[in-house]
Amino acid sequence: MNDKVVLKISNLHKYFGELEVLKGVNLEVYEGEVISIIGGSGSGKSTLLRCINGLERKNEGDIIYEGEAVKRDFTKLRERIGMVFQHFYLFPHRKIIDNITLGPRVVKRTEKEEANQQAYKLLEKVGLADKSDVYPAMLSGGQKQRVAIARALAMNPDIMLFDEPTSALDPELVGEVLLVIQQLAKEGMTMLIVTHEMGFAREVSDRVIFVNNGQIAEMGTPEEIFENPKDEDLKRFIQSIY
Amino acid sequence: MTQFIESIVAFFEVAIKFAPKFLPAVGLTLQLSVLSILLGTLFGLLVTLLKLTRLKLLESITNVYISIVRGTPLLLQLYFIYFGLPKLGLEFDSFTSAVIGLAFHSGAYISEIFRGAINAVHYGQEEAGKAIGLNRFQIFYYIILPQAVKQAIPALGNQFIIAVKDSSLASVITITETMLIARQFVAATYNPFPILFVAGCYYYIIITLLSAVLRRVERRLQVNER
Ligand SMILES: Nc1ncnc2c1ncn2[C@@H]1O[C@H](COP(=O)(O)OP(=O)(O)OP(=O)(O)O)[C@@H](O)[C@H]1O
Ligand SMILES: [Mg+2]
Repeated sequence: MNDKVVLKISNLHKYFGELEVLKGVNLEVYEGEVISIIGGSGSGKSTLLRCINGLERKNEGDIIYEGEAVKRDFTKLRERIGMVFQHFYLFPHRKIIDNITLGPRVVKRTEKEEANQQAYKLLEKVGLADKSDVYPAMLSGGQKQRVAIARALAMNPDIMLFDEPTSALDPELVGEVLLVIQQLAKEGMTMLIVTHEMGFAREVSDRVIFVNNGQIAEMGTPEEIFENPKDEDLKRFIQSIY
Repeated sequence: MTQFIESIVAFFEVAIKFAPKFLPAVGLTLQLSVLSILLGTLFGLLVTLLKLTRLKLLESITNVYISIVRGTPLLLQLYFIYFGLPKLGLEFDSFTSAVIGLAFHSGAYISEIFRGAINAVHYGQEEAGKAIGLNRFQIFYYIILPQAVKQAIPALGNQFIIAVKDSSLASVITITETMLIARQFVAATYNPFPILFVAGCYYYIIITLLSAVLRRVERRLQVNER
C-alpha cells in the first residue's frame, strides 16, 4: 500500500425509484490497499460496489479513476477493474479455459496462444490447473469462484471488487476461496471486498468500512472497527456477529 | 375373412403403385419446408435483433408484424401474397409466393422463440460479461446468443415440424406439393384411403428424420450441461 489514490468516490448518490440507497458516499482508495466493506443486509454495500464499475448507474456524484472522472461509458473502466460476484456467473457454455480467455481475446485482442498460456498460469495460481478443459457445471462452488477470480485477473486489473465472494458457498469451501484472495492481498492487489467473514476482514484488510443506511457510518483500521467501534449501530452489528 | 385379406392386398397394391408417383410432389414439400425453415430462422433472428436495438420505431414495426402473422390464418396470408400483392404491383410466381409466405409466417413465431430464450438467459451472464469489459454486442454474440440458441432448440424443433406441415397450404396457390397431388390422385381413382395413407407416410418420414436430426443437435449442444 502506498499513498497514491487510484480510485476516488465522491458524493455518490443512488436511487432505486423513490428509495435512496446511497446517500452521498465519499471514499479514497489507495494503491495496493485492501478495504473490507461490512454492514447489515440492505444497507447498500452491493450497490456501492456496483456503482463503482457502472453495473448500476449512479444518480449523482463521481467515480474518479486515476484522477479522471468516468463519463457515461464504463466499458473502458471495467477493463481496469475486475469484479467477482456472489454467484460466480461463469459462462456455462464455455470451458474453464475459455471462460478465462474470453475477456483478453475479445477486449484486448490477445492472441489465442498467449491468452491460453496466461490462463494456465492463473489456473495454477488458484489451484485448478487440471480443470482447464471441463465445463463450469462440473466444478464445486469453491472451484467455480476460484475460476471467476482467475477470469477477472486475466484482464490484468488494477483493482478487484468482490461482492460476498463466499456467501453462496458451503462452509467447508469458504477457506479455499479466502486463501486465494489473501494471496492476492499479499501480492499488493488493490481490493474492495464486501464480506460477512469478519475474521477474514480483520486479517486481510488495511481498512474496514461500515456501511449503514446508505452511508459510510464508520471507517478505520480493523482494530478500530472491531475492538473499538464508536457508531452505535456498528457496536450492535458487531455484537450480533460474535 | 378372405374378403378382408383381399381388401388389404388391394389397399397396398394401390399404395405401392402410387407411392413413386408422389416423389416430385414430396420434393416440392421438402424444398418448401427447408426454405421456409432456413429463411424463417434468419428472418426470425433478424426481427429479434431489431427488437433488441430498443429503438421505438423498429420495435413497433416488429410488433405489428408479429401480431399480424399471429392474428390471421396462414391460408389468408398466402392468398394475400399470391392474389393480393399483384394488385399492388408486386407479383411473384407461385413458388416464390409460397416461400415468402411460409418464411414470414414461421419467422414471426421463431422470433418469439428467440426472444423468450434470450430473456431466459440469467441477467448475471450479462453482468459477468460487462465486468470483464465486453461491450453490448460482444456480450450478445459471445455470451447470450449461444446460450439462447441452446435453450431455443426444443421449441425451434416444434416450429420446424409445424413448418413442414404448413407447407401443405401452398397447394391453395397452385403448387403441386404432396397434399395437392394426393387430392388429384384421389379424384382420379375414387380411392382415398391408400392414397392418403401414402401421403401420410411421406410426411411422417420427413418429420421423423427432422426430429432425429434435432435430437442430435440438442444432445451435442448439451454435452457441457452435466
Ligand atoms: N435493482 C434494484 N431495484 C430496486 N431496489 C434495489 C435494487 N437493488 C437493490 N435494491 C435495494 O437497495 C437496497 C440496498 O441493496 P444492496 O443490495 O446494495 O444491499 P446490501 O448491503 O448489498 O445487502 P446484502 O447484504 O443483503 O447483500 C436494498 O433495500 C435493496 O432492496
Ligand atoms: Mg449485497
